[in-house]
Amino acid sequence: MAKTYKDLREFLQTLEEEGQLVRVAGPVNPEPDLGAIGRAAADIKNGPAVLVENIRGYRYSMVTNVHGSWKNHALMLGMDKDATVKEQFEELNRRWDKFPVTPKVVSREEAPCKQNTITEDINLFELLPLYRINEQDGGFFLSKASVVTGDPEFPDDFNKLNVGTYRIQVKDKDRVGIQALAFHDIAVQLEKAERENKPLPIAITLGNTPLVTFMASTPVGYNQNEYEFVGALQDGVPTEIVKADTCDHLWVPAGAEVVIEGYIIPRHRVVEGPFGEFPGSYSGARLQCEIQITRITHRDNPIFENLYLGVPWTEIDYLMALNTSVPLYKQLKESMPEVVAVNAMYTHGMGVIISTKVRYGGYGKGVAFRLLSTPHGMPYSKIVIIVDEFVDPFNLEQVMWALTTRVKPDKDVSLIENCPGMPLDPSSFPAGMHTKMIIDATTPVAPEPNPRETQLLEKPVGSEAWDAVLRDLLKKGN
Amino acid sequence: MICPRCDSDKIKVMVKSPVGDEWEVYVCEKCWFSWRSTETINVLPKFRLDDEKIRNMQMIPPIPPLGK
Ligand SMILES: [Zn+2]
Repeated sequence: MAKTYKDLREFLQTLEEEGQLVRVAGPVNPEPDLGAIGRAAADIKNGPAVLVENIRGYRYSMVTNVHGSWKNHALMLGMDKDATVKEQFEELNRRWDKFPVTPKVVSREEAPCKQNTITEDINLFELLPLYRINEQDGGFFLSKASVVTGDPEFPDDFNKLNVGTYRIQVKDKDRVGIQALAFHDIAVQLEKAERENKPLPIAITLGNTPLVTFMASTPVGYNQNEYEFVGALQDGVPTEIVKADTCDHLWVPAGAEVVIEGYIIPRHRVVEGPFGEFPGSYSGARLQCEIQITRITHRDNPIFENLYLGVPWTEIDYLMALNTSVPLYKQLKESMPEVVAVNAMYTHGMGVIISTKVRYGGYGKGVAFRLLSTPHGMPYSKIVIIVDEFVDPFNLEQVMWALTTRVKPDKDVSLIENCPGMPLDPSSFPAGMHTKMIIDATTPVAPEPNPRETQLLEKPVGSEAWDAVLRDLLKKGN
Repeated sequence: MICPRCDSDKIKVMVKSPVGDEWEVYVCEKCWFSWRSTETINVLPKFRLDDEKIRNMQMIPPIPPLGK
């Protein structure tokens, strides 16, 4: 059984033991140091998580870049820290099929996140060392919260409980803005509440066990509960949850560092942003929702977990790499068993590479159509590259080979105008609409004519045996 | 004091540093820009706001009609 973590603290301990966490004793300034630390950690190959122990003017510590390298990502899964990306993809695929694993409900007394309760004079700054992440951001942001909301129409339906990551701007000591994009699950619930002019109860959880954060940013179906996925990804070990204090149908991770409870103020929008986003540019200011905070519970000495995001790759790109690829792969595989692997690691799935067997002529384009009608692929995916089953989509050298030797641009490149898009993509215009580009880099299969039939080279006989011999010689230092 | 983004004078102190007398955070009650007293703020011209820009801003998500 792979190693699992009950809370963020257990994971940080493992990172430290594996040489993947460093401590900055400080004191450091909130600006520009905390943002700069996140940027610097991401710029280091196999960069560590960084725990900043002393920040000027604040009481508690802050940790960043927790998910920000492939080594940390492997350790999150309880794998060897040197596991390759493809190995991690395959392990996630295996565990994914254990869904659903019912979470373990613990009592309020057993839940560390309930150690302290604040209901009066709420002040986020007392607990969280808030800071500006990028210079032109409109304020201080929570970039790594797992946000819990229910469906107002079916409050008791646990499947419809949503755990998602949304950017949150601090507007006051007890009030924050939230970005609820129209195509995300929370917007479905908000619309139901706003039609009735009712507040939408919400719990913002910070500093969770790494797989809760991982699932919160995973595009699964509306009727799929993220906590049941966490148990699956823990290889069958249930994750622990506890009921929120202010709402009977909201459940929060028992081991969270901080739980902020409140409600989205209905039919209310004010200026939010700008905010430096994962495409590497600022997304402009827009009129967005606000949350009134009514209660906070937290652990003793809470650690503020937040991430830096900016020009890729940063922590968020590691976090969103495989948790975007795996569900897309599963969704495609359900109806198209020919699909071999999906690489949606680039800019949160705006670029996707799919490897597939081609069942009949034109099948590659059909696979692209399927991707472009999945919950995530429809708005996000703009450039779709389809390669043969023998091309590893995680190996860009192989993908470039497929592009250069399998693409006849006049028939294999298709542009489809006026499609759903992703507003944070700075090339989408109007924001939220774009043209799709499909590149079919597969070998033509009948009835598509292939006038230039080519013969793939085979490895010379004995290559594999020689591979082992040469590796052995290398090890001996010859 | 005026807001470095929209020039409004509706500024309030959001919070003082919880430990020591290190800094204060201010917020503009017109455009909700916030900043710390220890920061050097330079809002780029493209991110500056006025009444017209705020009025014409995109709303995310749109507010649905009220139910019957
Ligand atoms: Zn202002």
